[in-house]
Amino acid sequence: MAQPFPRKTEPRPKGAVFAAFTLLTVSAFAQDPVAKGIEEFHQGNYDAAKTTLEQALKHKPRDAHARTFLALSRAATGGCDTASNDLYDAFTNQQNADLRRLAGLALVECHLAHNRLDAAVPVALALERDFPADADVLYEAARLHMKAWNDVVFQMFQKTPASYRVNQISAEIFEIQGRYADAVAEYRKAIEKNPAAINLHFRLGRALLLHSHSPEALLAARKEFEAELKLNPSDAVAEYEVGQILLAQNKPREARPRFEHALAESPDFTEALLAVAKVRADAKRYDEAIPLLERAIKLQPANESAHYNLMLAYRNAGRTADAQREKAEVDKLKRPPSGEFTEFLKKLGEKAPNQ
Amino acid sequence: MIRFAFILAAFSAAANAPSLPDFRNIAAQAGLTDVFPNGGTVSKKYIIETTGSGAAFIDYNNDGLLDIFVLSGKGGTNRLYRNDGNGHFTDVTRETGLTSDAWNQGVCAGDFDNDGFTDLVVTSWGGITLYRNVEGRRFENVTHQAHLDQSRVRYNTGCAFLDYDNDGKLDLFIANYVKFDFATTPKPGENPYCWYRDLAVNCGPRGLPFDRNILYHNNGNGTFTDVSDASGISKPDQSYCLGVLTGDFNQDGRTDIFVACDQTPSLLYINRGDGTFSEEALLRGAAFDENGKAMSGMGAASADYDGDGKPDIFRSNFSDERETLYHNRGGAEFDDVTIAAGMAHNTRFVGWGCGFFDFDNHGWKDLFLANGHVFPEVDRLKVDIHYKDRAILYRNNGDSTFTDISAHAGPGILERHAARGVAFGDYDNDGAVEVLINNQNETPSLLKSARKPGGSWVILALQGTISNRSAIGARVRLTAGARTQIDEVRSGGSYLSQNDLRLHFGLGSASKIDRVEIDWPGEVHQVERNLEVNRVVTIREPCR
Repeated sequence: MAQPFPRKTEPRPKGAVFAAFTLLTVSAFAQDPVAKGIEEFHQGNYDAAKTTLEQALKHKPRDAHARTFLALSRAATGGCDTASNDLYDAFTNQQNADLRRLAGLALVECHLAHNRLDAAVPVALALERDFPADADVLYEAARLHMKAWNDVVFQMFQKTPASYRVNQISAEIFEIQGRYADAVAEYRKAIEKNPAAINLHFRLGRALLLHSHSPEALLAARKEFEAELKLNPSDAVAEYEVGQILLAQNKPREARPRFEHALAESPDFTEALLAVAKVRADAKRYDEAIPLLERAIKLQPANESAHYNLMLAYRNAGRTADAQREKAEVDKLKRPPSGEFTEFLKKLGEKAPNQ
Repeated sequence: MIRFAFILAAFSAAANAPSLPDFRNIAAQAGLTDVFPNGGTVSKKYIIETTGSGAAFIDYNNDGLLDIFVLSGKGGTNRLYRNDGNGHFTDVTRETGLTSDAWNQGVCAGDFDNDGFTDLVVTSWGGITLYRNVEGRRFENVTHQAHLDQSRVRYNTGCAFLDYDNDGKLDLFIANYVKFDFATTPKPGENPYCWYRDLAVNCGPRGLPFDRNILYHNNGNGTFTDVSDASGISKPDQSYCLGVLTGDFNQDGRTDIFVACDQTPSLLYINRGDGTFSEEALLRGAAFDENGKAMSGMGAASADYDGDGKPDIFRSNFSDERETLYHNRGGAEFDDVTIAAGMAHNTRFVGWGCGFFDFDNHGWKDLFLANGHVFPEVDRLKVDIHYKDRAILYRNNGDSTFTDISAHAGPGILERHAARGVAFGDYDNDGAVEVLINNQNETPSLLKSARKPGGSWVILALQGTISNRSAIGARVRLTAGARTQIDEVRSGGSYLSQNDLRLHFGLGSASKIDRVEIDWPGEVHQVERNLEVNRVVTIREPCR
């Protein structure tokens, strides 16, 4: 059985995490205690910043900057209790986006440190919405979701150790770790405990396919997908998987009705739409393939496979202009994303894509 | 009476059953006993250790017998083995001047100076080398004189001579993989592109800078000019290119270029006939797999596998991917027919050298594929993906489908190696094609079937007179009995390798060849009739 991630008491947020956040541009007026305190904060001297800003606020109790940086300094030195209200206030009301981001991140850290996941989630979601490509924001969100997941799994292992769900979650953890043989074993245990549970045979079938490419694995996986279909005959995904296995077994003729059935069960199932469209295109029935592919694109406008197959179907049907239009779509979708990869290329002296 | 009828029926069934080859590795007895180093065997720190190297069947001394050339990674040397004519090969590397201690990658052959002797190009990380064949006695490194020195270190991979402007002089195409150097390339595990299934492995190609392909125009005076930009060859800059396959895919009389690319779209350069190419793989259906996904293309081969008179393309790919068979609908528009052709099941292999050849001379081109993973570390996973793996042999059923006969095709197919380059050629001129494989850090394999193929055959040795002397780019249409087959003389191909420049055709039960039509590069069209079978036939291009 897989072990859940060890439960540890969260360490108090310390300076390092704050130091990593974006620094604000501040004008350093040595004689201005607020500016001095902010500078001390940026230098990582949080205790000094706290003292300076507390003094400054005695003279300027309404200085929002001073209040926010005092809260940040307190949070950085383990004073989340006294900092939380001001951090929340800054996060919700601060006009300066950088300060709002800093306050939000500190607030998530504080909530996490005190195991207040319910309070942390809306802050993290708001941060993700406002700063969608911010590495610090995404990192904090990932930590939060991981902690939430860990806590629940830990509960499950403690309180229901003999349940089939524990075997199921263990199998899923093994899958994530790439330990497919172990995942297969855990799924089998889960099925033994609850043979009627929906989705176990399906997951087992998937794990078998991930574990091995052998013909035997294909047979075993198909058996599991068929077992899932016995429990739930309208499971379009299991039906689709059987179709895929039949293709891998060089049995396209047997695969076709499985794809058709999957689509009949779930008309919005994009993969099934694509599979049936390919069947039609293979039979040179492009006029039937094209509407299926167009529908797939309507459902998933960024589906590269759908655009690619539609491009080819148009081409083969002699609709050259439409094919060219779809080609442009494929080109657009295939364009490498900007971001880390681009930055990495730049570092290596290469011109970034699209430049 | 009943018993007699049963025996007859059984006999008839056996006679109709497809014959199986019995491929054995005869490298040791043939004298191929040298090990060819190519990076680490337990782990590989850099990508340069993963991609080498190619192999070639060439007749360097014009004695009518194919010799063997095998490339090496750093720490060894390329080696030329002369065919002694008795099933044995002798190492003549030193006396022929082909010693090289580099990260050698690919090889291609062609008579660039039309002097009647086959010259060689070797690509490597660092540059390319043009070896001029001096009267079949030795090779002279003429890279510098030919203006083929490169201004910076490049990771040159596949190559091919081709006469893209049909001027009778062989030009040179060079594929480039990535921009790589030991100093700046991250180490295993250093970034997300340096991991495979939880294993820290060498980085790339993703995460490493792209490079561009090169086209050199032959000036006809022993020098070449880089026309990459003017010809449009250097335009694609988002692909990691490896295997090169030339051919007249749209059958307009001009040589096009397909390039198998790793983790990125493969390229199809269509020759526009005015000295330029346009890259059109996407719309022509040859860039991706049937799902529109870029594969990890390594090697490529071409044949008219279904007998419809149009050249199709096969590309070898990575594990957890299907190989790709592209059917040419005509005019170089392709459909991925991998599944329909019966090739959907071999997804655990990383494929490299590949080629269509008719192992049993039944008149349909079969398909061979050599395998081996890029990461030796994969063996630690204890899964069914291995660093050293067996080959695959597909039998062409003659009905647009193939049957995987690997398990029954002899021990040579089942030997496990980290195979890379593969070349095909009939080194003893007995009508049965042999397979030469470059295995990383091992001796090469030389596969020969112990079972003589049943069908008749012919090998056509073409000699250009107006066209380039090697006849590269010449297209042949051969009719024997009810079957008409096509093929083309190619430089390069497979994975960074060179096949026999002569064309082998299996002819089934045909006792004579009714007609051979040759479209020479340029305008000469030649027809030969009533040729004998089971022999090597030399055909010279008629002078105008």
